[in-house]
Amino acid sequence: MRSLFRKILTTGRVAQPAPARASDQAADPGVLRGSVQIRHVDAGSCNGCELEIASAFGPVYDAERYGARLVASPRHADVLLVTGPVTRNMEDPLRKAFEATPAPKRVVAVGDCAHNCGVFAGGYGVVGTVGDIVPVDVEIRGCPPEPDVIVAALRDLTGR
Amino acid sequence: MNLVAQALLGGTVFALAGAVGAALTGPRVRAVVAGVSTSVCGAGGLLAGIALVDGQTYSATVPGLLPLGTAAVAGDALSGVFVALVGAVAVIAGIYSIGYTSPGSPLDHGPGSGAGSRTVQAVLPLFVTTMVWVPIAGNVTTFLVLWELMALTSLVLVLAEHRARPQVRTAAAWYASMTHAGFVAILLALVLFSSQVGGDSFAALRVGAAELPTTLRSLIFLLALVGFGSKAGIVPLHVWLPRAHPEAPSHVSALMSAAMVTLGLYGILRVGFDLLGGGQRWWWVLVLAAGAVSALYGVLQASVAVDLKRLLGYSTTENMGLIFMGVGAAGIFAADGDRPLATLLLAASVLHAINHTGFKTLLFLGAGSVLRSTGLRNLDSLGGLVSRMPITTALFGVGALAAAALPPGNGFVSEWLLLQGLIHSLPAAGSPSVLIAVAMPLAVGVVALTAGLGVATFVKAFGVGFLARPRSMAAGNAIESPVSMRAAMALAATGCAALAIVPAIVGPTLNRVAATFPTVCDGAPLQGGVTLQLTRIAGSMSPLLILCGLFAAALVIVVTLRIAGRGLPRRKALVWGCGGTRLDPRMEYTATSFAEPLTRVFDDVLAPEQDIDVTHHAESRYLIESVQYRQKVADRVEVALYPPLLGAATGWGRLAGRMQNGSVHRYLAFGLVGLIIVLVVVGVTS
Repeated sequence: MRSLFRKILTTGRVAQPAPARASDQAADPGVLRGSVQIRHVDAGSCNGCELEIASAFGPVYDAERYGARLVASPRHADVLLVTGPVTRNMEDPLRKAFEATPAPKRVVAVGDCAHNCGVFAGGYGVVGTVGDIVPVDVEIRGCPPEPDVIVAALRDLTGR
Repeated sequence: MNLVAQALLGGTVFALAGAVGAALTGPRVRAVVAGVSTSVCGAGGLLAGIALVDGQTYSATVPGLLPLGTAAVAGDALSGVFVALVGAVAVIAGIYSIGYTSPGSPLDHGPGSGAGSRTVQAVLPLFVTTMVWVPIAGNVTTFLVLWELMALTSLVLVLAEHRARPQVRTAAAWYASMTHAGFVAILLALVLFSSQVGGDSFAALRVGAAELPTTLRSLIFLLALVGFGSKAGIVPLHVWLPRAHPEAPSHVSALMSAAMVTLGLYGILRVGFDLLGGGQRWWWVLVLAAGAVSALYGVLQASVAVDLKRLLGYSTTENMGLIFMGVGAAGIFAADGDRPLATLLLAASVLHAINHTGFKTLLFLGAGSVLRSTGLRNLDSLGGLVSRMPITTALFGVGALAAAALPPGNGFVSEWLLLQGLIHSLPAAGSPSVLIAVAMPLAVGVVALTAGLGVATFVKAFGVGFLARPRSMAAGNAIESPVSMRAAMALAATGCAALAIVPAIVGPTLNRVAATFPTVCDGAPLQGGVTLQLTRIAGSMSPLLILCGLFAAALVIVVTLRIAGRGLPRRKALVWGCGGTRLDPRMEYTATSFAEPLTRVFDDVLAPEQDIDVTHHAESRYLIESVQYRQKVADRVEVALYPPLLGAATGWGRLAGRMQNGSVHRYLAFGLVGLIIVLVVVGVTS
């Protein structure tokens, strides 16, 4: 216990200073503002994007200070954060998760695979891109996208 | 011959006729004959009990009826309460047994076996008769004979289904040994008592008790506590309860758990408060401690139990523990001279006994309905009964609410009274004795923890057992019980509801019971009609108003939601199943998983045995073919205490076996040696 407290005291703040926002306008003003609950859905990703998302919500990039928060069920969420090409097994669960998310809702597709299936395009287990299954509102490109890119996109949603 | 005698003797005649009738008729008629005669006998007992409580007295002696003494009966208000309780349970159990034992259920294993067999049906009215007479017994001989008859008849009934399930025999062996060990203790206590006093009747004991030396009185009380405690299922003498109750037919479980176990309380009250007149303070500290341990241990075991009837059996230990806590606290305060407080606590105990009888009857009968229609007692395989057996479900729900001690159930009223008594036990002025200052707050904590775990237990029993979707084929094919069973359960539920809404109807009864202990109690503890008012401490409660308040609050919430949601579009959606395509009953909470946090928290007390078997694929150890998980929560008290005792008993048996080689010469020699020893003893002492 003491070593834990000492660690807390000596480590200090590791979060990067908040960069200025690219635009002052929220992505959709009036719909989601200030606080956004996010449910992450892995539709068939190679887990590269997951690492970057974990980093974006880690202590260094700390997306939660901008009002973005990961939750455990689409029933609690405003936003679905979908990664990877959509595989056969995840097609129906993704659709179900979208249906289970209460309106108003937004879908953020993370990574190149979510956009065009990336290297997995044409694979026997791949059904299509995220946009083929559910309507996508925001796309974050990159293979994988860097945490600050993800954070910037989420800040557009929260408006902070 | 007054009303009490007429009702009791009439009921007994009916029961004997019913026993003969049941022995002579075929299965269908037999069920009706046994059920009706049991009910009529119970009704006689109920009537006699009410008359006794109402102030009538009944005493009679019949010389020559019993071989070693005079049969004597003497009833007062204390007898009346217990006779009425036994009678009420018997009325309900009799009606229930008509449907339960009629042929054509999954439990019916052919002619001559099970609850519908000739022996069982003929013994049922006899069991009820002996139970009705036990509290009326007026001398030691009569009491002991009736007590033993009650044990024997109930043993026959526990054995009812021994052909279908071998574990019934084990359970019956446990029950027989425990109840006879208890009987030996009671026998020693009462025979010692009457031999020292020089009289056999309870009246003579009452008079002579004051002149006995303190050590002897303490010895008598301790023996009686062990004996009656084993009947009442007090830890560590409770081991027969969770075995015998599940294996007995359900109406018999109800009779045993709701009526017979309560007679253990009767014995303690009769011997401790009436015959011995209160006595030492430490006796009652012991009773309080035994009650507290029983309440906690019982509710903990009940909260992790998976077998529905075993759960109810442990819940009986819990409730008897609470009742004994009240009795113990009453005894402590009576010994300290605070008799009004003792009266209140005693009244709370007796009221809880009455309430426990009500809801435990209902719950065991509900469990019996489930068992009869599905053949299942395991909560992990039940579920989904709400749509298949709606009436049973609703009635079991009423019982579960009462047993969880939540308003508006009847269990709440008596636990509230008990808590009031314990909380207000510290004197308003001056400092209390160390014992009271330490014991009473602890007792309050025990009651509170017991009540909390009780809620979890009955949420589990009702939620997992009856709601959600069926977890097995048998539960999915359940059918609603016959009309007689439903009627009996409805009767029990009506009784519970009456006790819950207007508990003041038993107020005068409790006041009269208190008046039968002039050395312990003082004054009338309860007053009031709709609102229950305590006379000694500033406390009042109105269950009716609580019920109205709850109803009004629910109404307000529903109406507010309706108004707030008006005009908003309604969206119909599937239950979120984590994206899974099918929601399986195997994904539901089971009784084991519901109780898992409790098992984990109370790990040190319960010591569950867990066992995980992982089977790997033949090709690679990295791939797992199947995982098996088993968890067993054994009764730790039993595991720790009983094997040494049983081992010693077996050793003695072996030793005795060595003496028996079948040779006539040896037996003649034993006789000769015995005679010589007797002669020597007589020669030396005279």
